[in-house]
Amino acid sequence: MQTTRNFVRCRLAPRFLLAYLCLCTPVLAQQEQVALRGGKLLTVSHGTIDDGVVVMENGRITAVGSVNLVHVAKNARVIDVKGMTVYPGLIDSETALGLTEISAEPMTNDLIESSEEIMPHMHVYDAFHAESELIPVTRLNGITNAIVAPANRDTLPGQDSFVQLAGRSAEEMLLVRDVALPLNFSGEQRRDERGESRKFPSTRMGLAAQLRQTFLDAQDYAQRWTDYEKRKADYEKAKSEAPAKADDKNQGKDKKQPPSPPKHDLKLEALLPYLEGKKLVVLAAEEANDLETAVGLTREFNLKFVLNHISHAQSVLDYVASLKVPVIVGPIYEDPKPDERYDAVYSLPAQLNKRGVKIAFASYDAHNSRNLPYQAGFATAFGLPHEEALKAVTLNAAEIWGVADRLGSLDVGKTANIVVANGDPLDVKTDVKQVFIEGKEIPMTSRQTRLRDQYSEQ
Amino acid sequence: MFLRSLPCQSCARTMAGLLSMVLLAGSAPAQNPPGTPHNEVLIKNALVMTATHGNIPNANVYVKDGKIAAVGKDVSAPASATVVDAEGKYLTPGIIDSHSHIALDNDVNEATSPVTPHMMMIDAFDYQDKAIYHGLAGGVTTSLLLHGSANMIGGQAVVIKHKYGANRDAMLFPGAPRSIKFASGENPKRVYGGRDQLPSTRMGNFAVQREALVQAQDYMREWDAYEAKVKDGDKDATPPKRDLKLEALADVLRGKLLVQIHCYRADEMLTEIAMAKEFGYKLRAFHHALEAYKVADQLADAGVGIATFSDWWGFKQEAWDAIPWNAVMAMRKGVRVAIKSDSEDFARRLNQEAGKTMRYGGATEEEALRMITLNAAWIIGVEDRVGSIDVGKDADLVIWDGYPLSSYGVPSKVFIDGDLYFDRSLPGFGMPHYKEGM
Repeated sequence: MQTTRNFVRCRLAPRFLLAYLCLCTPVLAQQEQVALRGGKLLTVSHGTIDDGVVVMENGRITAVGSVNLVHVAKNARVIDVKGMTVYPGLIDSETALGLTEISAEPMTNDLIESSEEIMPHMHVYDAFHAESELIPVTRLNGITNAIVAPANRDTLPGQDSFVQLAGRSAEEMLLVRDVALPLNFSGEQRRDERGESRKFPSTRMGLAAQLRQTFLDAQDYAQRWTDYEKRKADYEKAKSEAPAKADDKNQGKDKKQPPSPPKHDLKLEALLPYLEGKKLVVLAAEEANDLETAVGLTREFNLKFVLNHISHAQSVLDYVASLKVPVIVGPIYEDPKPDERYDAVYSLPAQLNKRGVKIAFASYDAHNSRNLPYQAGFATAFGLPHEEALKAVTLNAAEIWGVADRLGSLDVGKTANIVVANGDPLDVKTDVKQVFIEGKEIPMTSRQTRLRDQYSEQ
Repeated sequence: MFLRSLPCQSCARTMAGLLSMVLLAGSAPAQNPPGTPHNEVLIKNALVMTATHGNIPNANVYVKDGKIAAVGKDVSAPASATVVDAEGKYLTPGIIDSHSHIALDNDVNEATSPVTPHMMMIDAFDYQDKAIYHGLAGGVTTSLLLHGSANMIGGQAVVIKHKYGANRDAMLFPGAPRSIKFASGENPKRVYGGRDQLPSTRMGNFAVQREALVQAQDYMREWDAYEAKVKDGDKDATPPKRDLKLEALADVLRGKLLVQIHCYRADEMLTEIAMAKEFGYKLRAFHHALEAYKVADQLADAGVGIATFSDWWGFKQEAWDAIPWNAVMAMRKGVRVAIKSDSEDFARRLNQEAGKTMRYGGATEEEALRMITLNAAWIIGVEDRVGSIDVGKDADLVIWDGYPLSSYGVPSKVFIDGDLYFDRSLPGFGMPHYKEGM
C-alpha cells in the first residue's frame, strides 16, 4: 500500500455531495480525513464495489462508494489500496479474549467462577485484561470486535461483554457491558456425574429444576422490591398529606415508620433485566432434546433469547427455524457423532441459512479467535453462500448484539472498523495488510511479529 | 516388528469394488479375495499438483496395480480402465499426517513409568475408530500413530493407511520403518512431578533419558559380546537375558528406529541434538517444535526435520513463543518441515493448515503442499513410497472440489492404493467399502 496526499478528481453527483456535507460538521472537518482508494469494497450491506473509496473521519465512515462518485477532500490522506479487498472489521460472537493468557497456567485464567452453577452476577468486564497479548494477535487477522463470555461449564456462569479490540484501556474497549446472559444446557454442566460426592445437580432434571427455582426466586425478588416501592410511595404520600396534623401529639409512633427495603441480592438482581425481556439470553444446547428442554424453560419465563451451538440438533432444524431467533452456530469443527456423516456439522450453517435462520459464527476460543473467518469460509464449501458467510462474521453478529447502528458493514455513519487485505477475507491464504479501528491505523505488530522479526535478523 | 513381517495387503481391494459401488451407490460391495489384481483407473482432466514437479493442468493420471503408472497430458489407458473425470477439479497426493493419536481408544500414554520404549501402539490400534473415516474424508491417506508425551521415552508407533472399512491388517502401511516417540519439557515433568516422582524438572527429564540410554548401551554391549562369541564358534556361550525395554532402546542406539521427539522449546531441541550425538543415534524429527525458528540453523545442520502446527499457540507455557511463521522460517533455513494434526479435528483439514504457510511467510504452493505430503512422508520414512504424484508411487490420491490449499478445498474422492475409499457424492457415509455395524 502506498500513502499519498492527493485526492480523487471530483465528479460528485449532487445527492452524494449533499449527504457528505450533512455529515461534515465544522468540528469534524478539522480532523484528518483518510481515504482508502481503489480497492474492492465488500460493504456487506449493499454489495461489492469494485474500484471503490471509503472515507473515514473522526473515527467514523463518512463516505463509501465508487471512485468516480465519492468526493475526497484535498487535504485528505489518501491510501492507495488498488488490488486490495476492503471489508468491515470481523466480529467474533463468542471468545474468551481478555480472560486467558496461557491456557494451562491457572493464574493466567479467569474463565469461570466454578464454585456454583448459578452465577449471573459475575461480570466478565471485571476480569477483562485489556493488555492481553492475545488481543493484538487477534486483530491482526481483521477481527475488531468480539463477545467475551465466561466458560460454559455452568448453567448461568455470568454475563457477557461486547468489546472492541483496541483502545487505551479496558474502559474504552468494553463497548457494551453485560450485553447478554449465557444459559448453558447441554448436560455438560452437571455436577459430579459419577455421583461420588452426591452434589446437586447431577442430572438434567436437577439442572432444569435449579434454573427454574432461580428464575422463580428472581421473580419473587422483583415482586418484593415492587411491593416495597409501593409501600414506600404510600408512606411518602401519607407523609406529605400529613403536615396539617403535624402538631397532633397523638401521632402514631408505631404506624408511621417508613417501610424497610428488602435485602439486596446481587445474584437475583442480575437476572431482572433478562426476566423483563430487556436483555438477551444466549441459550446453549447441543442435542435436540436439550434444545427443546432449554427453549421450554425460556418460554416459562418469557426470556428473550438467541440459540448457541446446536451442533447436533440436525433432526430439529425446522423447529429451530420456527422459533424465529438467530443462532450462533458451531464451532463447525466439532466432531460429528459416530452415527453422523462426516459433514453433519460442517453443513449446519448452510442448512440453517436455507431455512431463513440468521446465523453468526464464533471461534469459542481466545488464542484461535484469529481463525474465525476460515470457519465461515469452510462452511461455504458445504453449501453456505459466500455472501451469507461474510455476513455471519459481520452484520448478522452486529444485529444480534444490538450494535448494528455502529458496526458490521461499510456504511456512512458507522464506526470506521475497516480491514484491508490482499484477497478474500474468508480464505486462509489471505494476508491482512492493515486494520483500522475507530479510524485509527492499528500497528500491525504483536508479540508474535516481534519474535519473528527478532529471529529473522540473525 | 509386526510391520516388517507384513505382506502387502493392498491387493485385498480391487477396482471392481469401485465399479459396483458406482452402480449400487451406497450399498457395500463384497470384498474381493486377497490376491485379486487391482483394476486400472484413469483420472482425467484434473489440475494435477504433483508436489515434486509442479502443477500440470488438464492432465491424466493412470493407475495400475495400486501404483501410479503414468502422469501427463497425453496419458491414456486401456479401455478396461475405469475412467474418473476430474474436469475442473484438483488432484493431489494423499495427505499424510505425521503426528496423530487417533484410533488408539484413549490408550495413548502408558504413563506408569517415564521410560516405556517397549510399548507397541499397534497393540492398541482400534481400526474401527470413526476418526480414521473423518481423516479420510479430509483427504488423509496415511497417518503416524504415536505414543503420547507423558514419558521421556514412549512407545513405538504404527503407520496406517486410512482404508476405513477394510480389516485391521489391510490398514497397516506395509514395510513402514519403525518409529519411536521421545518427549521432553512440561508433559513428563507434570505427569511424574505431580506424583512426587522423577522427573519433575527438565534436569530430571534429561537424567531419566540419559540413564535409560546408558543402560541400553550396557545391554547392547552384552549382546554384542555374546554374538561375537557365537560368531567365533563358542558353543558354550550363553545368551544374556532378553529385556524388551532395553532391547528397544538398543535398537535406537543401533539406528534401527526413527526417533520422533515431542519438543517445544529451542533449548531442549539443542539438548536432544547433543544427547543424540553423545550416544550416537540419529534424530528424525522434532514434533511440535514451536521454537524451531530460533534454532533453525542447528536443526538443519543436524539433519533433523520438524512436524509442527501451523498457528496453534499459547495453550501452555512452552507454547508461548509459538509464531505462525515458524514453519516457513525453519524451511528457509533448510529444515524439512511438515504440518501435522496431533488432533482428530485438525486431521480433517490439514490442507487448510498447510495453506496458512503461504500467508505466514510466503511458502510457495508446492512448498505448502509438501508440508502435508512429501515432507510428512519423509518424517515417517516412507517418502519413496508415498507423498507425491510420481510414477511408481502408491496410488494414494485425492480429487478436490475447490482449491485444496484454501478454506474451500474439500475432498471429492479419495483413492488409496488405487482403490476408491471415499466419495463425497455417495449418500450415507460416502464410503464404498464401509458397512455400518461391521
